Amino acid sequence: MRARATAGVSAALAASLRATRWLILPISLLLFLQWPLRDLVKAYAREANDLGQWMFALYVAAAVTATTRAKAHLASDLFAHRYAPATRARLARIGAAVGLLPWSLWLLTAGASLTLQSVASLEAFPETTNPGFFLVKAAMWLMGLMAFLQAVLDVWAPTDVRRP
Amino acid sequence: MSAFGLLLLVLIGWGTVFTGLPNVVVLLAVAVFGLLVGLLTGSIDAHLMSALPSRIVDLMSNDLLQALPLFVLMGVLMNRLPVASALFRTGIALLPRADASAPVVGIVIGALLGPMNGSVGASAMALARTIAPEMRARHIPLATVQAVTATAATLGVVIPPSLVLILLGDAMLNAHSIALNVSGRSGRVINTQDVFQGALLPALLFVAGALLVTLLAWRRRGPLVVRPRHAPLRLGDAIIGALAVPFVGGLLTSVTLGYIYPVEAAACGAMVLFIAGLVSGHVNRANIGPLLDETMRMTGALFALLAAATTLTLVFRLFGTDRLIADLIALLPGGDTVAVLVVLAVLAACALVLDAFEIVFVIVPIIVPPLLIRVQDATWVAVLILLTLQMSFLLPPLGYALVVTRDLLKGPASLRAMLTALAPYVAVQMLVLATVFAVPALTHPASPFAVPRPAPAAPLSREEMIRKLDDMLPPAPVAPSLN
Repeated sequence: MRARATAGVSAALAASLRATRWLILPISLLLFLQWPLRDLVKAYAREANDLGQWMFALYVAAAVTATTRAKAHLASDLFAHRYAPATRARLARIGAAVGLLPWSLWLLTAGASLTLQSVASLEAFPETTNPGFFLVKAAMWLMGLMAFLQAVLDVWAPTDVRRP
Repeated sequence: MSAFGLLLLVLIGWGTVFTGLPNVVVLLAVAVFGLLVGLLTGSIDAHLMSALPSRIVDLMSNDLLQALPLFVLMGVLMNRLPVASALFRTGIALLPRADASAPVVGIVIGALLGPMNGSVGASAMALARTIAPEMRARHIPLATVQAVTATAATLGVVIPPSLVLILLGDAMLNAHSIALNVSGRSGRVINTQDVFQGALLPALLFVAGALLVTLLAWRRRGPLVVRPRHAPLRLGDAIIGALAVPFVGGLLTSVTLGYIYPVEAAACGAMVLFIAGLVSGHVNRANIGPLLDETMRMTGALFALLAAATTLTLVFRLFGTDRLIADLIALLPGGDTVAVLVVLAVLAACALVLDAFEIVFVIVPIIVPPLLIRVQDATWVAVLILLTLQMSFLLPPLGYALVVTRDLLKGPASLRAMLTALAPYVAVQMLVLATVFAVPALTHPASPFAVPRPAPAAPLSREEMIRKLDDMLPPAPVAPSLN
């Protein structure tokens, strides 16, 4: 039962990341288009920026967990490369339990009302009044949620295999 | 309890070096530990925890940070496309047949492509994959290849508009705003463009110096045992070179001179490289997935670091550690020069165990605002920080570029041999750093004679100094208003 649940959570995270990774292409296009829109068309540059902004927020929110799953966070290997694999695995579990897990809980609990209010009112970007700023706040909460789920997997169902 | 934050800093250094855990995990674990201690001892009000989500939202809605994934994508694409190799071969074909040609071209390509690669690690990886094999194929000793690759990988730190420069520019803007507000000095707040332009001359000086010592070293060394054959210029390489050099050069110049924003330049570079990859077949259905995964992973590594540093600096502020450090810097004896030297020494020591991004996100916001209240020339300070970071990346035994390059280019070259090959480049870095320290006008190429003079030494009482510093830093967040 527990194995099925963890496999299901892991598969859901993997599917979300596979979908989100494509966002970098529209983000690049939109942020590039700002330049001709501002200097040549002289319109819609702010709209392109706001659109790129919430896509960027969603992208980085997912990217944090993508990095954790791939074990690709920057680390100093000065002394740890001498440790036995079992020691390193134990350290990784402890790290997830005392670092990412409580931090993500902090973000989820402290950010819940902020996100709910913003989503409920469909908050717009403050400077341009373009719609979509609530998605940035939702992305913050999403980052917490994905980090939390991944930390739970890393603490209770760790794997040494690099996941997609 | 403000001194407790200093203990947290020590814990970060210890955790980073001895656990082997990702830096982001160490930062978060230490921040959470500090928060718990603060909550249990009553030093931190539980309501203040709600400041964290707002700070993360600020990061996600920061215009400048949008450049982060774009630079990463450019770096990843640059690794997949044969641009660096083609430029290398073109450079070799155009230069006279000499043993020093390969390292000279390696440094020039590092200078050209480094600013587009995102970070020292990404640059080292790109150069190790592209330039290093070309140098080895020309019978250049491995120690020299390692030294040239490591040096070239650090060029992205000082040549605009690299990601480190962009992020440091943002951190300096915040630090300078605080310093001006408190000191009551009039003046324009430094921006990213100022840092770009300030770094330009010192960066050129370093590149010129690195090329010079390469030529001198090869003259002293004598000819190679096996001399490489002179390869004629290939049409494909020439076409890539003719397209890439003006494009990259134009982009870098436009950003440095302020014609376009760094984010737009990065987006333009990423789009052009992506389309070039599609057209040339280097980006296709089979490899686009891994390419996007790699981009996402590297972006996540940087953003996670940023989020962790934001969490940690919040905990510092809740403990009042930032004010304590500000007080200590303000009371340093020996004048402004000594204060700058002490701050640079602290940064150099941090750079031995922390990445450039951690230093920019965690250390700079804590120690630079109090420095800027004493020292008026923020651009000069920013460039000195950049040069110090660049130098510390090459210093043994823990210099980041040094360690990464030796790891990427393993082989029969002792550390001693590599350090011997590296020594002239480190000497040039020290010389440039000392020159910029002595001649701040080098960081003001547009108006060398209008360099801000140090403030007249107005004698401040200790109480007045402390009061100013207490006013200088914004108050810790107060519940329920966020951030």
